[in-house]
Amino acid sequence: MLPLSLAVLPWGILFGSLAVQRGFSWLEAQLFSGVIFGGAVQIVTVELIADNSSLLTVLFTAFIISSRHFLYGLSLRERLSPQPLRWRLSLGFLLTDELFALSGHRRAYLGKLRLYYGLAAGGSFYLAWNLWTFVGIVAGASLPDLTDLGLDFAIAATFIALVVPGIKSLATLAAVLTAATASVIFTLWHFELGLICAALLAMMVGYTVNKLSGKWGGGS
Amino acid sequence: MTLLTILLLAGITFGTRYLFLEGRLPVRLGPNLRLLLSYSGPSVLAAILAPILLVRSEQLDLSLSNPYLWGAAAAVTAAYKTGNIYWTIGAGMLVFIAVGQLI
Repeated sequence: MLPLSLAVLPWGILFGSLAVQRGFSWLEAQLFSGVIFGGAVQIVTVELIADNSSLLTVLFTAFIISSRHFLYGLSLRERLSPQPLRWRLSLGFLLTDELFALSGHRRAYLGKLRLYYGLAAGGSFYLAWNLWTFVGIVAGASLPDLTDLGLDFAIAATFIALVVPGIKSLATLAAVLTAATASVIFTLWHFELGLICAALLAMMVGYTVNKLSGKWGGGS
Repeated sequence: MTLLTILLLAGITFGTRYLFLEGRLPVRLGPNLRLLLSYSGPSVLAAILAPILLVRSEQLDLSLSNPYLWGAAAAVTAAYKTGNIYWTIGAGMLVFIAVGQLI
């Protein structure tokens, strides 16, 4: 779990410094990481709020970014739903991409010891995320050009690491290319709902290509 | 106002994570909705990622002097060859910084 806690370092620092530079107080910035606890959703919504987007846009964008979590919950449902409420609440709160990536083991969350392991792993991400956010807040307040240092590229590289190995079908490739193209166009247009529309469009393209390739007997 | 927004956002992220861990929830997702959602992760990530690489000061930058493109090319190659998150970030950052210094 330590390497993964280090992997959120550029994220936390970028988020903390970005929030301070976009006019949020240090308390607000820390609160984002303390109660929301999500990398992509925090970075995107901080920009939207600072650009005076409507509350509905901010919330809907957060919902679309978070929609992948439904699948995480679904795949852990059988194991976690019979557990007492305190386990469901705590592990649910901590269920990030990183924790889910560690949940692939066939015996994950089976038995008390493995539940505690999940809690320790998730909790350590939480602490790391908040610590790096705090470092970012302090650094962002004293080094105004921190966001120009290429931390945004570190975010992009992390996303590439998450996306590229998952492209195993024509449908996923089509979805990724659609999302990228549409999102760039919408950004150039200053379209407030751009991220939502690009993601939804890409999901529909992936879905359609999957159905079509099945019909033609190819693809997966 | 900002405080309220933060709390609402927290409700959304927690809600999407917790929803299906609740055993009493009668909702079942059909296979089509599951299939659609399976493209949510890569689509959202690609939609956030692409403008970081390609849009500089509100302009499309596809030139060879854009270090983000070189870094991304290295990261994609490393991700494809190794599938490892650290190699990917490492290779991408290295090329990104090197090209940034040269230009």
